[in-house]
Amino acid sequence: MKNKSKPLALLLACFLVLGACSNTTNNTPAAPEKSAESSEPADPFGRYEEPVQISISIEIDPTDNELPPGDTPLDNQYTRQIKEALNVDVDHQFAATGQNLRQRISLAIASNDLPDAMVVNAVELRQLVEADQIADLTEVYERYASPDIKSIIENTNGAALDAVTFDGKIMALPGVQANADGIHLLWIRQDWLDKLNLEPPTTMAELEDVARAFVEDDPDGNGKRDTIGITGPESGGKLYANFLESKNNLYGFDPIFSAHDAFPGYWLEGEDGSPVYGSILPETREALANLRDLYSKGLIDPEMGVRNKADEPIIAGKSGMFFAPWWMAYGPLTNAVKNDPEANWQAYALPLNQNGEFRPHAATPSTEFVVVRKNYEHPEVPMKLLNNLFKNEQENTFDPSKGGPGYYPLRVVYAPSDEIEFTVKALRDVLAGNKTAEDFANDKAYKLLPSDIASIKTIKKEPYDSMDISTWNPEANWGAWTRAYSIMVGGRPLVDTEFEAVSSLLYEQTPLMESRWVNLRKLEDETFLRIIMGAAPLETFDTFVENWKRQGGDQITQEVKDALAQ
Amino acid sequence: MRMKGFAKHYYLMLIPGFLWLFVFSIVPMFGIIISFQYFNPGKGILGSDWAGLEHFKYMFLLKDTQEVFSNTLVIASMKIVANLIAPLLFALMLNELRLMILRRWIQTIVYLPHFLSWVILGGIVLDLFSYNGPVNQLTALFGFQPKLFFADAQLFPFLVVGSDVWKEFGFGTIIYLAALTGINPAMYEAANIDGAGRWRSLWHITLPGIRTTAVLLTVLSLGNVLNAGFDQIFNLYNPLVYSTGDIIDTWVYRTGLLNLQYELATAVGLLKSVVGFLLISVSYYLAYRFVNYRIF
Repeated sequence: MKNKSKPLALLLACFLVLGACSNTTNNTPAAPEKSAESSEPADPFGRYEEPVQISISIEIDPTDNELPPGDTPLDNQYTRQIKEALNVDVDHQFAATGQNLRQRISLAIASNDLPDAMVVNAVELRQLVEADQIADLTEVYERYASPDIKSIIENTNGAALDAVTFDGKIMALPGVQANADGIHLLWIRQDWLDKLNLEPPTTMAELEDVARAFVEDDPDGNGKRDTIGITGPESGGKLYANFLESKNNLYGFDPIFSAHDAFPGYWLEGEDGSPVYGSILPETREALANLRDLYSKGLIDPEMGVRNKADEPIIAGKSGMFFAPWWMAYGPLTNAVKNDPEANWQAYALPLNQNGEFRPHAATPSTEFVVVRKNYEHPEVPMKLLNNLFKNEQENTFDPSKGGPGYYPLRVVYAPSDEIEFTVKALRDVLAGNKTAEDFANDKAYKLLPSDIASIKTIKKEPYDSMDISTWNPEANWGAWTRAYSIMVGGRPLVDTEFEAVSSLLYEQTPLMESRWVNLRKLEDETFLRIIMGAAPLETFDTFVENWKRQGGDQITQEVKDALAQ
Repeated sequence: MRMKGFAKHYYLMLIPGFLWLFVFSIVPMFGIIISFQYFNPGKGILGSDWAGLEHFKYMFLLKDTQEVFSNTLVIASMKIVANLIAPLLFALMLNELRLMILRRWIQTIVYLPHFLSWVILGGIVLDLFSYNGPVNQLTALFGFQPKLFFADAQLFPFLVVGSDVWKEFGFGTIIYLAALTGINPAMYEAANIDGAGRWRSLWHITLPGIRTTAVLLTVLSLGNVLNAGFDQIFNLYNPLVYSTGDIIDTWVYRTGLLNLQYELATAVGLLKSVVGFLLISVSYYLAYRFVNYRIF
């Protein structure tokens, strides 16, 4: 069932398209300037004497049942700790699931009816800045950011702050995610491979053979031909991550594209050194031809692009392969293993390209931003909330099995860029007995490492060099297993494989993109999906390239070139 | 004097309708201004800068605009025709049914989907036609390969019209049945005595008897020729069927609210309103000409 239409949202939608926004001129006068002391650092963790209210937007999955009985999204371990430590009362102006949340945020922007603070993406941030709807947080960042968070933000070579600096002002608090979030891997049912006497596929040809075996040779042993070779994106999902949303693309085909040295959705350096858009290059055409072939042979989920939840067949043990980043135990795999304790999902940096290299695309560290509504009386509250989250994650205050960290108000991730790789190596050393928790006492930025080290031996059984599901004991502590399995299995290829990631020349919008990009994206998404699913001939790609250039693509390419020249 | 007091109640009963119309149709009309502006939500309608006709020029450049207008026209016209014929046929068949209990039952059952929203029916329809759904299981019995119906752009408009008829024909049937009971039974008796069979009385009494209703319903539905059904299509479509299934309303929704291109979306919405206004004027003129139905 599609849940993307909420009656209220629709009602608002009709109302707003025709033109709402009559409540726009009642801007209250700006809060009085703070006195001279305002340039000095303040206490990042200071508790308010009087209770302070903040209304936020939050992403909530209504089917999530992690919260213990009696707890609610508004009253749980996180909100109680916040009340205790900061004396802040959190209220939800709106809560929605992923796709719906983006719509609610768009509605809030269009109607100029913003919560006090919310987490937005790069496009929404830009829109908010231009509409002058959010507060300048330069001073808040300078005075209130905790030293740990500051050092993580400043260790991104300026990328994090660049993304939020407009006219020299810091307009949002950037999250900083680990590089690993942008590297998409092949996740495969190792137990199916073993059963059919197959090896992990290294080339596209081998990938096809494995997918065929998964579809035809009854890997789940129920005597029916009901298994999927490769899972594809769900309805509304992306075929590949792009320069605006460069990480965490679940169930896309990113590694298949990069196995063809194709990087659609990315700005690349062309042969003449000037920027060129990856989606219109011949490599992309080649990759599409390959995907089209796989789809027509029934090796890719026949319901890709139409299915409402791509993770269902994975959880139900009906799919053999999918592509996603390292953290998949936080994704479908926990439920998949609860459903079938034998489901041995392993991750590989595969398939390789013609030269035998794994060449993934790389992401920008900051894709999530906390913004504060203009004229909110306490603009420093969101920063304090983030300081508090980071500190308590270091101290391991929260128990993720009593409600995941997503329930923390305004949560954005702060992680050193090599967090995953570092943790993999550290845990290996601990398991091998070479090191103990004390050896990592100074690595405070890796906030979850102490708890990772403390719990690893309760959930990981010997032999320690094997990562098969049979060598784990998830029942002992599902919360810790989710993280450890993600890191040790999903992080392994990142540590054990030599690879060079391809970056986009640009990770933000240029001015002309604001009016034209949506239509170009639609053209691209629709054409590629139709080509892969056989609804349009491969030659449509050539018309697409022409149309793309004519409908503004050429002008935008020029703009990108100018932006890079600056 | 008594008549006057009576009429007053009628006017009072109009108030909720007028309020609804005022809040949801008249007030939002001021938003049309957005299509002539570089709209900035922070500054609002009164503070944004003027853009002249720029967004309209871009709108006509865009291939999408033609596509969504023609999709809307095709789907809406098909719906108008199908929603005229299906309930009419069904009402006539039901009318011939002499067993009253059975008639009432059938009438109630076919009328049920009308009360369910498209969010629910959309899910049901998608499941029925899914890859492993009942329809594919049925065709598999006859040796057909399973087919992904809702990924087929050629089929999509027919699926939309078909499911819309399924949802609404019960409701239309009731209107026709009401018109049928308005026919004087004495006419059927007279025809019977004169030796007319069922077909003859159908042709010479029943059809002329409900002609006015049929023409009126058709003519009035012309006003909807640009409303192809937002909530239905929104719950059924996906990017694969945009080329035949994306209608003005869904496009405006995505462009304006999801992609924040307020001005372009408003411009297209305005164009829709202008064309819709012309069509409604024509349809009311026709209604006046042919069945002497007057609103003013």
